[in-house]
Amino acid sequence: MALYNFKKIMVVPTAKDFIDITLSKTQRKTPTVIHKHYQIHRIRHFYMRKVKFTQQNYHDRLSQILTDFPKLDDVHPFYADLMNVLYDKDHFKLALGQINIAKNLIDNVAKDYVRLMKYGDSLYRCKQLKRAALGRMCTILKRQKQSLEYLEQVRQHLSRLPTIDPNTRTLLLCGYPNVGKSSFINKVTRADVEVQPYAFTTKSLFVGHMDYKYLRWQVVDTPGILDHPLEERNTIEMQAITALAHLRAAVLYVMDVSEQCGHALSQQLELFNNIRPLFANKPLIVMANKCDVRKISELSEENQKIFVDLIAEGITVIETSSLTDEGVMQVKAEACDRLLAHRVDTKMKTKKVHDVLNRLHLAVPTKRDQKERPPFIPEGALLRRKAMEMDAPKRKLERDLEVELGDDYTLDLQKYWDLMNPEEKQDKIPEVWEGHNIADYIDPEIMTRLEDLEQEEELREKAGEYVSEEESEDEEMQEIRQLASQIREKRKLKILTSKEKDTQGPRMPRTAKKVERATLEKEMADLGLDMTDKDDSHYALRSRSLVRKRKREVSAPPTSRTRSQSASRPPRDQSGVRDAKMLKKVKTMMKSSQKEMNRQGKKGESDRHVFDVKPKHLHAGKRKSGSTSRR
Amino acid sequence: DHHERKRKKESREVHERSHKARKMIGLKAKLYHKQRHAEKIQMKKTIKMHEQRKSKQKDDDKTPEGAVPAYLLDREGQSRAKVLSNMIKQKRKEKAGKWEVPLPKVRAQGETEVLKVIRTGKRQKKAWKRMVTKVCFVGDGFTRKPPKYERFIRPMGLRFKKAHVTHPELKATFCLPILGVKKNPSSSLYTTLGVITKGTVIEVNVSELGLVTQGGKVIWGKYAQVTNNPENDGCINAVLLV
Repeated sequence: MALYNFKKIMVVPTAKDFIDITLSKTQRKTPTVIHKHYQIHRIRHFYMRKVKFTQQNYHDRLSQILTDFPKLDDVHPFYADLMNVLYDKDHFKLALGQINIAKNLIDNVAKDYVRLMKYGDSLYRCKQLKRAALGRMCTILKRQKQSLEYLEQVRQHLSRLPTIDPNTRTLLLCGYPNVGKSSFINKVTRADVEVQPYAFTTKSLFVGHMDYKYLRWQVVDTPGILDHPLEERNTIEMQAITALAHLRAAVLYVMDVSEQCGHALSQQLELFNNIRPLFANKPLIVMANKCDVRKISELSEENQKIFVDLIAEGITVIETSSLTDEGVMQVKAEACDRLLAHRVDTKMKTKKVHDVLNRLHLAVPTKRDQKERPPFIPEGALLRRKAMEMDAPKRKLERDLEVELGDDYTLDLQKYWDLMNPEEKQDKIPEVWEGHNIADYIDPEIMTRLEDLEQEEELREKAGEYVSEEESEDEEMQEIRQLASQIREKRKLKILTSKEKDTQGPRMPRTAKKVERATLEKEMADLGLDMTDKDDSHYALRSRSLVRKRKREVSAPPTSRTRSQSASRPPRDQSGVRDAKMLKKVKTMMKSSQKEMNRQGKKGESDRHVFDVKPKHLHAGKRKSGSTSRR
Repeated sequence: DHHERKRKKESREVHERSHKARKMIGLKAKLYHKQRHAEKIQMKKTIKMHEQRKSKQKDDDKTPEGAVPAYLLDREGQSRAKVLSNMIKQKRKEKAGKWEVPLPKVRAQGETEVLKVIRTGKRQKKAWKRMVTKVCFVGDGFTRKPPKYERFIRPMGLRFKKAHVTHPELKATFCLPILGVKKNPSSSLYTTLGVITKGTVIEVNVSELGLVTQGGKVIWGKYAQVTNNPENDGCINAVLLV
């Protein structure tokens, strides 16, 4: 429902802005390039698109305006009436009607021009038609300038209306201007309505919320009503009347006993009688306000009689004062209770109640013996309840102290401190003591913490956490430790020796030098290897052959070398071959892989030479029978 | 502090406007400059009006009509001769049947412009049909000839029944129904077909205006001349011939 979404109505642009926005949107969002030599259907489509796009935009925006604004028939009659009072229902409906007409007109214009454009046979003609169409649509909108301005103002005002829920519990304040309605609402709720000595300070409805019996209540403050017939009332008063008429609320009629508002009590009574019909079916309470200035008992006889009459009719009259808070709570409680009872009554009368009632069942446990089992209320709750009932303050509040002392009052929180020596309460706290900064040590629970820590420490010591055991190392660990220490020593020695070495020339890497057999064997022996019988090891033979190479006997290949080599390394076709069967298989594999290459006369596997790239017999001659799609 | 802020905002607006005018480019800038130009002209006019109020102006009403300066006093005879020759010219025109219309000369529309060739036949070879490409008017009781025999096609989308007629003296425009096409200046063929182009004289139903003759009879039909190109604008604008 558009009820409480008055704030969500989209902004209504002025006519000029509206036209500018839509036209610039058309220019940006539709293609812009067209040439004379394009095909005519393309030109037509181009311009028709622009016309339709503009029409679509206008249509959408206007439809949105029409749907956003609340329809007076659809909203709650309270709001419908309020809007009638504030904005004049006829004007409102007319404005929306004009917008609707404009929307239809724009649609028709677009339809006509699109139909005409189908007969356009040149770019110029289509362009002129588009121009005429857009111009017409914009002129239609220019004529709506007034309606749009009015609707924008209505929207702004609507969004600032207070959200009054017509269906929840509401208290309604009414009465003459300046009787104290706004002060009452300021007292009871968190609302901050302006209170001034001149009449008609409150010019519109204000809402405040309060809590009672764990429920949310609305309190509605109205502008004052003067006593003249309905036709002569102005807009401000009509708002109050509307609220009275439509909201099902408890009515608090406020009367000014002291007559400070400028109207005699008899006048107030007159007004009361005049608007009596509006109070039908609503719980009514008369508040005799400003009783701190003058009480009812201080009034004259006839005025007192008024109140007596009212009470005799069965209307509750309560004396209140917004200044001294006298009777305010009483009024609140009374009004809320009566309204709740009234609401429950009305609900009971409807048919829906029976559905609920039929499903409710209060189960009471049956007595199994004669023993009395009353409900158990703890003592503290009882005491508190008594204190609440007595309604007296338990202790002297700071506020009261302040009021008493007036100017001499200073806020002294140190008197509430709980010290071992109460005379020290007013002493000044030093900042540094014995070289330590006191702020560092401030911890309210420091003593308890210290005790806890000490206890923990004791426990730990008992458990033996702090005894360091010597690890019993097994033999392996000891050996490893010994070896590690040896390595460390050797390393240090090496470093020292290398530092002492006299390096001449560039430092060659270790692999460039040849290693003497003797040094190798010695080093290995030092480390613990057995180097005794190593004559036929590979390094022994190697050294010998290298020496041979140096003598350069080219003529005859050093037989020893080949022999040595062949002795040291098996030939390729024997390496990896386990037995004769495998050797045979290997040989056949080799031969078969070479067969194809030999057939094609290739030198090896990387030979890709083609002897005849375009053989004549394939590329010459006529295409005869057979497939002719390729050669 | 609403008033303070409002005042400050308004004074800042001047600077913002000039900044906008300097920095904008493109189409938006053109539109904005045009608007600003119009505003400036208005401002200048009002300033000028204010200034005129203070200064003294020559009063044209004081010199009577026909007052001639001294060196032109001799040439009175000429004016009478001019009047006579004008009368003779008028009479000649009336004999020729030339009317006084607001648009005496219009561009002639060739046949290729007004009528488009429609090809028919199994092989699209026959080209005897023509379609009218301009706006036309067909009467109320118009029914097409059977499609096989109709030579001139007047599409429904281009048929108009109403025209926006301006009264030249009242300067008011009315949307009046067309009664018929009186004369198309380009060709008599177009007149018979009912083609409406610029300069065509049409007859409109003026009963709306409530004109009455001297004898007391109500005038309900008058001639009007079309002043725009209806096929480009989508509407027929005409001027009443009084």
